[in-house]
Amino acid sequence: MNRETENVLLLLTGVCTAIIVVTGTYTRYVKPSLMPWLVVTAIVLTTLAIGAIVRDIRAHRRRGDIDLDDDIDHTHRSGVVWLLVLPVVLLGFVVPPALGARAAEPPVTDTSREALTRSFPPLPAGRAPELALPEVVIRANRDSAQTLEGRLITVIGFTMKAENTTGMGPQGAGTDLGRVVMICCAADAHLARLHLGGPLAARAGAYAEETWLRVEGTVDPQPSDAAGLSVPSLMVTALTPIEAPQNPYVF
Amino acid sequence: MTAAGRTRRRSAGSTEILVAGLVVVALFGGAVRSFVVSRPDLATAATVFLGVFVQALPFLALGVVISGLIAAYISPDRLARWLPRRTGAAILTAGVGGAALPGCECGAVPVARRLFGDEAANDRRGAAALTFMLAAPAINPVVLVSTAVAFPGEPAMVGARFTASLVTAIVMGAAWSKWGRVEWITRLLPRTPHGGGSKWAVFTEAARHDFLRAASYLVLGAATAAALNVLVPPVVYEHLAGQLLLGILTMAILAVVLALCSEADAFVAASLTMLPLLPRLVFLVVGPAIDVKLFAMQAGMFGRAFALRFAPATFVVATVVATGVGLVFLGGAR
Repeated sequence: MNRETENVLLLLTGVCTAIIVVTGTYTRYVKPSLMPWLVVTAIVLTTLAIGAIVRDIRAHRRRGDIDLDDDIDHTHRSGVVWLLVLPVVLLGFVVPPALGARAAEPPVTDTSREALTRSFPPLPAGRAPELALPEVVIRANRDSAQTLEGRLITVIGFTMKAENTTGMGPQGAGTDLGRVVMICCAADAHLARLHLGGPLAARAGAYAEETWLRVEGTVDPQPSDAAGLSVPSLMVTALTPIEAPQNPYVF
Repeated sequence: MTAAGRTRRRSAGSTEILVAGLVVVALFGGAVRSFVVSRPDLATAATVFLGVFVQALPFLALGVVISGLIAAYISPDRLARWLPRRTGAAILTAGVGGAALPGCECGAVPVARRLFGDEAANDRRGAAALTFMLAAPAINPVVLVSTAVAFPGEPAMVGARFTASLVTAIVMGAAWSKWGRVEWITRLLPRTPHGGGSKWAVFTEAARHDFLRAASYLVLGAATAAALNVLVPPVVYEHLAGQLLLGILTMAILAVVLALCSEADAFVAASLTMLPLLPRLVFLVVGPAIDVKLFAMQAGMFGRAFALRFAPATFVVATVVATGVGLVFLGGAR
């Protein structure tokens, strides 16, 4: 690969970084809080690329038709820079979707950052306050104050087939509500899930897999210090299909 | 892209191939996209790959800006004057100095390569640069704070991580000064660029070169991590993690194949509650020192002969040191 092509790829990498920020697709891959840094990155990369291109054109004019490659960093040039085509094509043209229920479940299947039970702050006031799905899982498993007890809550997530191994609910039948939790980037994403129970749960199962739902219901908390988190059951009292949220993940 | 393509149409070759290829992809973008989306494994791998790559980009950009500044403003003589005369003191200074670069591991590789330099004779400088490379991503304040946040009930974890990572970095620096060979460094830094003079030109050329090289190898590493993420079922890790010794080894290997960012790995380790603290400490010490993307980047920036020796040695040293430090700090296998 010659120097000019390297500059083009550098420029494209910068432009693609800018594109994913402008279109918002970067939230499929990393945390929203990385946005300002991605903007800086896009500026740095395009500046480096344009600087190199301008310098080459000037040098070219000055020296006539001598091939630039003869005198610029000839120490080691190799084809490995072609690899940058892969992220450029993926970011600019393919734009893979956000991780969903079908994503092979990553090694971390457990959403707790705190190992043991403790007392959680009370839920927000209101008839059915909205909680993040992983928070419901953690409160149901670890909250010694049992703040979920007897409260109606609202949860957003996508439908997925119930897992066989949970031991909760009727032997892997029925439907779960899932949400992908991300700590830093898509590589550390893992799945949090609630089992949907009650008479209305069958309606949730009627939707295609990975339909986004807003579900109202109650969870019966069972706090314990056991390693790992069990999948709580949400007794559904109301559900509505919704558009996929802007940020597909919770953090 | 088209602007650059037009500027020098005379040099036929790779640019034309690139532009033609991208036009083809643009024309059939919809087909390519639906092909990827229709295969869940492929879509997951692509998303995980971009997760690692996009997450690393800002740190890499910061890293190459620093390495460019080093190329432009810090001459080898000046660096030699700053470093303590004795090798041991130089390694120690570099290790503690690592705390000053608040980033994760991708940025540290190009910076260390610049600090390393190409002057073969000076092993003090090389050892200090490698120590810096291993220490910086693990002991900087951002990483330590995120570790403290991830392990709220276990303050010893922060101290253990700091100590084990610093000791690993110092041991590897000392090992380099004792056994390291300059012949292994097959990738040399480019000479001062054409037009030679202005600081701006030196800075941009160095940053450009380091970015292209490091980012290409980052692609290789991120793709490996994504493939392993999809191909190896998580059950494998869960079963192996049952026993302590096997758990330590499993977590060390997991740190290598997952290639997580050092600012995020603490949260992942904290969530693996089925394991005792000791294997999780090993995970936190090995990950920032060596993983598949770092191996690829080291091979690209220093040379394959170097990476083939340095990476396995780092892996063994980090695992052993973390286990030892963990036994002291965490009071055995809890």
